[in-house]
Amino acid sequence: MEAGYEIRSLKHSYSGQTVLSIDHLTVKPASIVGLIGPNGSGKSTLLRLMGLIERPVEGEIRFNGRPVEPFSHEARLQITLLPQEPFLMRRSVFGNVSYGLKLRGDSGNVRERVNEALSMVGLSNESFSRRPWYALSGGEAQRVALAARLVLRPKVLLLDEPTASVDAASAQLIREASLQARQELGTTLIVASHDRQWLYEVCDEILHMFRGRIFEKGHENIVFGPWMKLESGLWGKKLSDRQHVRVPTPPNDESAAVMDGLSLAGGAPAMDDRDFVLRGTVTRFNLERSTGRVFVTVLVENHNFTFVLTPQQAEERMIFPGKAVNICYDPDRIRWI
Amino acid sequence: MSFLLDGFFQAIKLLSGGNAETYSAILVTVKVSTYSMTCSLLIGIPLGFCLGYFDFRVKKPFRTVIDTLMALPTVFIGLLVYAFLTSRGPLGDFGLLFTLPGIAIGQTILALPIIIGLTATAVENMDDKLRITILSMGANRKQLFLSSLWEARHGIMAGGIVAYGRVMTEVGISMMVGGNIKWHTRTITTAIALETNKGQFAMGIALGLVLLTIAFCVNLSVSLLRRRN
Repeated sequence: MEAGYEIRSLKHSYSGQTVLSIDHLTVKPASIVGLIGPNGSGKSTLLRLMGLIERPVEGEIRFNGRPVEPFSHEARLQITLLPQEPFLMRRSVFGNVSYGLKLRGDSGNVRERVNEALSMVGLSNESFSRRPWYALSGGEAQRVALAARLVLRPKVLLLDEPTASVDAASAQLIREASLQARQELGTTLIVASHDRQWLYEVCDEILHMFRGRIFEKGHENIVFGPWMKLESGLWGKKLSDRQHVRVPTPPNDESAAVMDGLSLAGGAPAMDDRDFVLRGTVTRFNLERSTGRVFVTVLVENHNFTFVLTPQQAEERMIFPGKAVNICYDPDRIRWI
Repeated sequence: MSFLLDGFFQAIKLLSGGNAETYSAILVTVKVSTYSMTCSLLIGIPLGFCLGYFDFRVKKPFRTVIDTLMALPTVFIGLLVYAFLTSRGPLGDFGLLFTLPGIAIGQTILALPIIIGLTATAVENMDDKLRITILSMGANRKQLFLSSLWEARHGIMAGGIVAYGRVMTEVGISMMVGGNIKWHTRTITTAIALETNKGQFAMGIALGLVLLTIAFCVNLSVSLLRRRN
């Protein structure tokens, strides 16, 4: 049975305030879906609903074609969620990783399976298995928490900011283990993360969330408010390096601007276009293995912009990490959300 | 002060010599507290768990009532239970006045709010991430309940110890509902009160030592259990 989701007219609220509203969303089986959005955009809520941790206020979640809710018999054994902050029970590492198997009454080869899950996240059985929960670093605790999910061989693994509070080495191991689950078990991965590069690199689909809604699918560049009126009379956002993102009048101060039609240029911009140029530095190159396209990340102050180029285009423009580039944009092509 | 020292040495003699009256009071106390603690734990833990775990409309007023009942004076409980169990009372036909079950009913009323309140606090203090973790592992309703209960066990045990302490040391209920009848309903605390009134310190001190020993043993076994877990 393939593990796919279909969500219709989903709404969720806390204390009467709507925090999530999704008209329609489908997730294909064995795909990797990335959720991007600022804090409070509804990513974690969506994951908790999809993970059958909470019951939505309105709407329906279908899994494998059947409506599901918390405690749904078949689905709860196929879906697992790794929350943002790892939580380990007052047990040894072995006790934590084998906990889910015990709950499910699955007692076959437990030690072997726990060892396998621990090795997937780069933890050796000899050094960690007997260690108590309090004797682990943040990164190790997160990896143990992930191993506790992987040992269940889930059909769906929901990851909420899995690399947000761990060091670079742990983050890499978590990424690799998640992808290994997808490759070896055909697990559907749904990942909320601020690590755009990773998501752009591995995801089949990227969903941009803002104020509880999914408003874009794809590799969009979005600049979030607040916006203010600049001296020139235009609206914009001041960056700390004396640059401005100039925009047409926004619907409100807190709107988000979807910047369509961005282009990368190497030399100095024409005088007429200077108001709509941002100067940044290429910080990262990522290859999308499935298509051969190159994702170029340009850092402007602390905003990341992503461009998708063919290898030829990247070569022609002589783009490499560390190179200063101009990002040109057309204010008429800015969309507000 | 010498009478206290004399009392202490006589108390050791009474205990080591197997004084029947002393041991009768000890046995009655252990019996009646076992009845009342069993009842209050069986009723109180599930109720306390529900109070701490679920949100419902009258939760706050209910919690306030429970917190108030935690401070109920034992003589007042004694009075109420006496009024219910006396031959003129609504439960008079059961003939429970001046019996051990009668005392146990009063002590259950004393212990129940403590166990409910402290269990609810232990459950409320549980990290919500625990619930998410248990659910994300695929737990069903029963497993979620039992696992949450298990994780809150230290807080619940603490509630049990506090309640046990109150039950063991109360005088009002045992005196009023039990009647302090020698060989039948005389508990450690009522015996201490009586013997002190009579100026017989030895038996009072002997029983006081037993109370201390019981409290020490209960706390020791709970802390050993904690360490094992």
